[in-house]
Parts: sequence; structure tokens; C-alpha cells
Amino acid sequence: MNILKLLADLAEVDPTLYARLSSRRAVFAPLSQLGRTAALAALPLAVGTAIMPAQARDIRTILDSLNLALTLEYLESEFYARALGLVAGAPGVPTNFFPTGTRLAIETIYRHEQQHVRFLERIIVASGGTPPAKPRFDFTGSKNSTQPAVFADVFTNFDTFLQVAQTLEDAGVRAYKGQAGFLQTDNSLLEAALRIHSVEARHASHIRSMRRARGANVKNWVSASDTSVAVPGKTDAVYAGEELVNQFIAGLRQVPFDQAPLNTVVTVAKVAEAFDEPISATTAAALVGLFTY
Amino acid sequence: MSKITKAGGDDTGFDKPLYVPIKRRSFFMYAGATAGATALLLSGCDDDEVFADPKPPTTPTPPTTPGSTLVNVGSGDVGVLNYAYSLEQLEAAFYTQVRTGTYYTGLNASSAERQILDDLYYHEVIHREFFKAAITSAAPTGIIKNLTPNFSTINFNDRASVLGAAKAFEDLGVSAYNGAGRLISTTGNGPLYLLLAGKIVSVEARHAAVIRDLLQEGNFVGSDILTSDALEISKTPAVVAATANTFLAEGSKLDVSGLV
Repeated sequence: MNILKLLADLAEVDPTLYARLSSRRAVFAPLSQLGRTAALAALPLAVGTAIMPAQARDIRTILDSLNLALTLEYLESEFYARALGLVAGAPGVPTNFFPTGTRLAIETIYRHEQQHVRFLERIIVASGGTPPAKPRFDFTGSKNSTQPAVFADVFTNFDTFLQVAQTLEDAGVRAYKGQAGFLQTDNSLLEAALRIHSVEARHASHIRSMRRARGANVKNWVSASDTSVAVPGKTDAVYAGEELVNQFIAGLRQVPFDQAPLNTVVTVAKVAEAFDEPISATTAAALVGLFTY
Repeated sequence: MSKITKAGGDDTGFDKPLYVPIKRRSFFMYAGATAGATALLLSGCDDDEVFADPKPPTTPTPPTTPGSTLVNVGSGDVGVLNYAYSLEQLEAAFYTQVRTGTYYTGLNASSAERQILDDLYYHEVIHREFFKAAITSAAPTGIIKNLTPNFSTINFNDRASVLGAAKAFEDLGVSAYNGAGRLISTTGNGPLYLLLAGKIVSVEARHAAVIRDLLQEGNFVGSDILTSDALEISKTPAVVAATANTFLAEGSKLDVSGLV
């Protein structure tokens, strides 16, 4: 069995593999210090601890990916629709919830998410699939008051609302990125997903600007310097792994970010900012689960 | 690890390397995971293959087209990497020069605007060096040269000129990556390159959004870059190169005809 080829295959079914391998940097030291035979002998140790447990391995179909994307778009569009008071029967949002000059951007983002929903529904049907049912949502995270709320004031405190918005948009970017590999055999679906992916990244950037304008310590890109919005045990998976400071290229070679000319112009934090990392479908689905019941 | 190599399960040993992959492949095909199945078809390949360009051009393409002043990015995955490398070179050179103009130097060092421009400079230099390393690793003789920009149309002392150019570069970069995904091979290192491009394009989109907001608040996703389904536009290499070439000096203009 070819270990390097296997790694490439595993990375395909598990897009986070390379990210998790990077934390095994020490194990990879032999790649540069010893002959290749010795290095290959060392690899299984690193891989064996980095790959997902067998039962969690992500063997997805294109339809699974589209369904996940649609579910995420349902989540986002419903979130903004409720804030904008567009959902009949949902808890009311106080008048003046939106500070001056903020409502228009949220309306814009909502409109995009709604268009993404319709687009994905359409292509799922056109592909012979049945769109998943729209879940029941509770954006406080209390699962319809059956457990303590995580974001009790999400629709009464605009800053909480923006924190959740940032969490959803950043997670959306990561989730689409994680699915790209599963769509690669279908060029039109791949390109459509990429074209949604970059719109989600623009949303994330703008939400972060809105938060910064209100005094939050946050950049437009995921940065180690951001004051975290992650809630431990609830939403921290949305940012886990984004701190990655190594990238691997063909043959699992590590990009020498610590060597000239980069060592004169970059810091580790800038490398982490310069690359957004994927999340698996499992992680994305768990986030959806936090806001549905 | 051993659990995986032994997954076939009926004691045929390790001297028949194709046995397990075939079993796995048939499972994937049954499950309908086309992407996984395609990759596994190559499971028996020699391990040297992952150290090399997975999809070498049938006829080797020299980095520079003979008899012309164009820089040929080549073809296959290395061509796509060179294409991305050329755009990152352009962006890195742009932000490097931004930092010498009086618009930038006149900004308060603690201002958000200056910190944003600093970050963009760092990110693009990192992206440039990333591709240089990736291409050097995949095809040491296939990497394009260092390109010479021509920013004569940009006034680096003027905010509107600098931010207008930044917006053009960032939007162009996003549309280029969005259009290049389909050009990356589905085998060998292709899936890895696709993921890496995906890691970069969303950061470029974050850049584009904040630059657009600096120019016009609320314009983070302008109607000029969207289609009717709120999908961002994508551009082919030919269209992207036509724009990029207006910012590249003679002898550094791109030939992307090998990217199909």
C-alpha cells in the first residue's frame, strides 16, 4: 500500500486531515532529516493518530454536499429573516433593534441567503434529489426552551446578534470549503459552490466590520488577535483549526514560511490569517444542530 | 493505520497491494461517492508520483513562449498554480508599492485603514511565497519568472486611486479562483490544490469586501460582481489575463492559453 497516496486519498475524504497533521509537526521532522525510506516508516504513526475514527469518516455523495449546503443556507436565511421581523409566528424583535445605518446591510445579506436557498433547492431537484425539509430553528440555542439558552438575547441585543451572525458566516465559509472536494467531479456544481463560498466570505468580512465599528476587537479575516466569539463546548468548533500556521503542499511538504524572504515580513499570526481552513460536514452539522430542534 | 491496510480482511497479506483498494473502490462506487472513487483508482501508483506534477503536460511547456514576450503559465495543475502565482505576484507587488505612497504613509499607524492595508500586504506576500514553494516542489523547472508590474495608471498618493485599484485586484482574484477550480485535476495532488486554492480565495473575498466598504460603505457585495442567484461571478483565465496584463510590463504579460 502506498502510504503517500493513501494520505492524499484520506485528505480527500477528510479535508481537515492536513490541518490536523500539521499539529504533528515533530513527527514529520524525519522527512527533512532522514532518507525517504525512514521518513515513510515514520509516517503511519502520524497518520494513524490524525485520521478520523472509522465511524466518523466522511464518505459523502454530491447530494449529501448539496443538502448540507442548503441546510446551512436555511439556517442563515432564517436567522436574518427573524431579525428583520419577516417570520410570522417567530418571537418579535424589538423596534429599534437595528442601530442607525445597520439594517440595510442585513437586508442585503438576507436577500443573498434567500437566493442561495432557492438556487440550491432548484439544483437539488434538477439533480433528481429531494431538498431536505427546512428545520425548526431556535437561535437562542435552547432547543425550544428544553435546555439553557446559549444566546438568550440574540434578537434583543444587537451585539449578540452580530456575534452569532459572524459565527454562522465564518462557519459557512469553512463548510463550503470542506465540501469543495466532494463536488470536484462535477465542474458546474463545483464552480457554483465556489461562487457561493466567496459571497459568504464577503458577508463574514462585512459582519466583522460592523462589529469593529461597534468597538469589537476583530479583523475582517479570522485572526489570532480577534477577541473570540466562540462559546466553549457550543460553537468553538467554528474556529478550531483556524490558527493553523503551516500549510502542506504535494508530498506533505511543509511550506517554509519561517525562511527568507518571509521571515523578514511575516509573523506566524499573519500566516494563519492568510488561509481560511475547512470544516467537515460533521462539524457543520453539529453547528446546525445547536440552532435547531 | 494497520486497520486501514487490513480492511480487506481475509488474510491475503500485504503482497497484493491492489486487493484492498479494489475492495474499497467497489464500496465507494456502491455508496455513490464519485470523488473518493476517482481518487482511489490511482491507489496502486508509485509513490514517486505524489512528489511530482500529477498531471504533467503531454508536451512540456517552457515557462516563456519562444518568439514572444509573453510569460506562458503552462498547462495542467502546474499551469493553474502558475496562474494563481502570477496574480498573487501582482497583488503582493501592488501592496508593497502602496506602502511607499503618501496615501498610506499619511494614515495614522493605529488606524483601521492602515492596519487593513498592512494585513493585505502580508497576506499577499504569504500567498505569493506559498505558490512559489508549491510550484517549486511540484515542477521545479515549470515555475514562471518573477513578473515585473506596471502600475503607471495608479496614483499611489491618492486614496481613491489606491483603493480603486485594490478593489479591482481583489475582485479579479476572487473571480479568477472561482473560475479556476474546474481546471484543477481530480486526481493526484489535484484535490489538495483545490483545497489550498479554496483556503486562499475566501481570504481574498474578505479583502475585497472590506476594500469595497472602505470605498463605499455597504458595497461589500456589489451587484457588479453577482449573478441573479447571488452567486459571485467567475472569470476564465483568458478574461482575467486580459485585465492582469494591463498591470504587467512588457515581457511579463501572461499567456494562459494552456489552461483549458
